[in-house]
Amino acid sequence: MDRTELRRRIIDWLDDQYHFGEAEQKIGGDDASFLDRGILDSLGFVALIVWLEDLLHLTIDRKNINRENFDSMNKILDYVQQRLAGGQA
Amino acid sequence: MSLAGLEMVFFLPAVLLLHWAGPRHRHWQNGVLAAASALFYFTWSPRLLWLLAVAIGISFGAGWWLNSLPLEGLSGPEADSRRRNRRLIATGAVLAEVAILGVFKYAGFFTNSLSSVLDALGIPVSWPVLHLALPLGISYTTLIQVGYLLEVYWERTPACRDPLAYGVFVAFFPQLIAGPIARAREQLPQYQEARRPTSDAVAAGSREFLVGFTLKAFVADWAAPHLVDPVFQSPLSFGAGAAWAGLLGYAVQLFGDFAGYSLMALGVGRLFGIVLPVNFRHPYLSRSLAEFWRRWHISLNTWLFDYLFAPLTTGRSWFRGKTGPAFLLVFLVSGLWHGPTWTYVLWGGLHGVALWVHHAWDETFKGLCRRDRAWVARRRSRPYLLASFALTQVFFLFTLIPFRAPDLGVAGDLVRAMAGGGAGGALPDGLGFQGAAALAFFLAYHVAESRPGQWAIGRFDRLPAPVRGIAYGLWVVFLAIYVPLGAATFIYGQF
Repeated sequence: MDRTELRRRIIDWLDDQYHFGEAEQKIGGDDASFLDRGILDSLGFVALIVWLEDLLHLTIDRKNINRENFDSMNKILDYVQQRLAGGQA
Repeated sequence: MSLAGLEMVFFLPAVLLLHWAGPRHRHWQNGVLAAASALFYFTWSPRLLWLLAVAIGISFGAGWWLNSLPLEGLSGPEADSRRRNRRLIATGAVLAEVAILGVFKYAGFFTNSLSSVLDALGIPVSWPVLHLALPLGISYTTLIQVGYLLEVYWERTPACRDPLAYGVFVAFFPQLIAGPIARAREQLPQYQEARRPTSDAVAAGSREFLVGFTLKAFVADWAAPHLVDPVFQSPLSFGAGAAWAGLLGYAVQLFGDFAGYSLMALGVGRLFGIVLPVNFRHPYLSRSLAEFWRRWHISLNTWLFDYLFAPLTTGRSWFRGKTGPAFLLVFLVSGLWHGPTWTYVLWGGLHGVALWVHHAWDETFKGLCRRDRAWVARRRSRPYLLASFALTQVFFLFTLIPFRAPDLGVAGDLVRAMAGGGAGGALPDGLGFQGAAALAFFLAYHVAESRPGQWAIGRFDRLPAPVRGIAYGLWVVFLAIYVPLGAATFIYGQF
C-alpha cells in the first residue's frame, strides 16, 4: 500500500469511527497533532494501533507506541512506511 | 506529619532552605529531599522504612540489569535468548514489588475471604490472621516502581543510574500520602539535573498550595464531621433530605480531600523545582463517564490505561480489541487498589460495567451517525449534553455509596434513608458561616474553569504585586482563623 492510499484509508477510518465525514477538515494539516486537536483520545489511539496492525499484518512494538510515531498523519505514515520497508519493530 | 499539618510550617521552610541554600548540585538537592522524605515516612511508618528501601533497591537494581542487556544490534537466537532474560528479570522484579504490596495490604483480605468461602462450603478452617501495619503510600510507590520497570523493559525510557535520584523519584515526600503517581519519563529527568529556583515557579507553587490547602483543610475537613460522618454512621436515623445532604457532602469531601492534597503536593513540588503530574481537572464538569475518568485521579487512570488497558487490548490475548471487558477488568483492579474490601470491588465493578455500557452506546450511536449525519448534530445539542452531564454525575454520586459505606448493610440503609425510609432526623449542625463559605469556595473553584472565571483570574494576575500580596495575606489569615488544627483525615492516604 503506498503513502497516498494509506492516508486515504486512515481518513476513512477516522470518518467511520469518530468524525463522520469531517476528518479531512478537522485534522488541520498532516503535521498537526492528533491529540492537541482532539482528533483522537487515548482510547482512539489504542483502536488505531489495533486497526493498523490488523490492516497491515504487522506487530507494533510497545516501545514504538508513542506520540513521536502516532501523533499526526505524517508521523503515522512515516512510521508505517519505515516498518513496511523492513525497519525496526 | 502531612502537608496540611502544623508541623509543615516548620518542616517545609527548613527543607527549602537546605535545598536551595546549599551547593547547586543535584546530589546535594536530591540528598536533602531524600533525607526529608525519609523523615516524613518515618513519622508515619517508623518500623517500615527498611521495606521502602528494599522495594526501591529491587526496582533500581532490576532497571540497571535490564539496561545492561540491550536488544539493539542483536538478531536470531542471541536476540531471543536476551529477550527471554529481560522478560525474566522484569517479571521477577514486578512480582516482587506486587508481592510486597500483596502481603502488607491484601493478605488479611484474601485469607478472610477464602475462609468465608470454605466455611460456606462446610469446610471450617482456622488459620492465623495477619494484622500488618500498612506502610505509608505503599499503593502509590508500588505503582511508580512497576511503571518504571515496564518502561525500562519496553525500552521506552533508559534506566536511572543514580540511586539517590531514583529514591527521591519514588518517595518524594509530597507525593507519599496520596500521590500523584510519578511517571519515569516525565519525572526522572527532573531529578537527574540540578534545579534552579524561579520566581514564576515559586508564585505558581504557592498559589497551588494555598488553593489545595483550602480545598483540603477548609472544605473537606468541614464537610466530613458536619455532613458526611453522622449520616454514614447511622443512615436510618435521618430523613431523606439529610441523607441526600450526607451523600452530596461526601462528593464534596472526597474531591476536596484528594484534589486538594494533590494540588498541595504539586505546589510543594514546584517550590523545589519539580513539576509533578496534574491529578485532577474539574471532574465534576464531565459530560461522560469516560471523560470523568480522564479528569479524576488522572495519574492512577493513565497508569492503569498505559500498563493494563492498552497492553490488554492491543496484545494478542482474548482481550485484543475488546474494550468493554477490558474496562471491567481494569476497574475491578482499580476498586481493589483502593482498598481490600468487597465494597471497593463492587464500586470498581459498577464503574467497569458502566463504562462498558457507555462504550456500547457510543458504538450504537456511531452506527446512527454513519447512516444519518443529523445524529452528529443531535449529539452536540444542548439537551443531549445536559442529559449526558446529569447522568454521569448522578451515576458517580450513587457509586459513592458503596465507596464510603463501611459495609453493604450500611450502603443499603443509606439508600433506604434517601428514599424516605429513615426516622426523619435532621443533621445536628446547620450550615453556618463556615459551611456556607466552604461550599462557596467549592463552587467558585469550579466556576473558575469557565470563561468568565478565567477572565477574572487573568484580571487578578494583572493587579500590582502588593495588591495580590495583600489578598493572599488576607486569605491566609482567614484560613488561620477558620481551619481547625489537628482535625485532618486523609481519605486517599488509607489507600
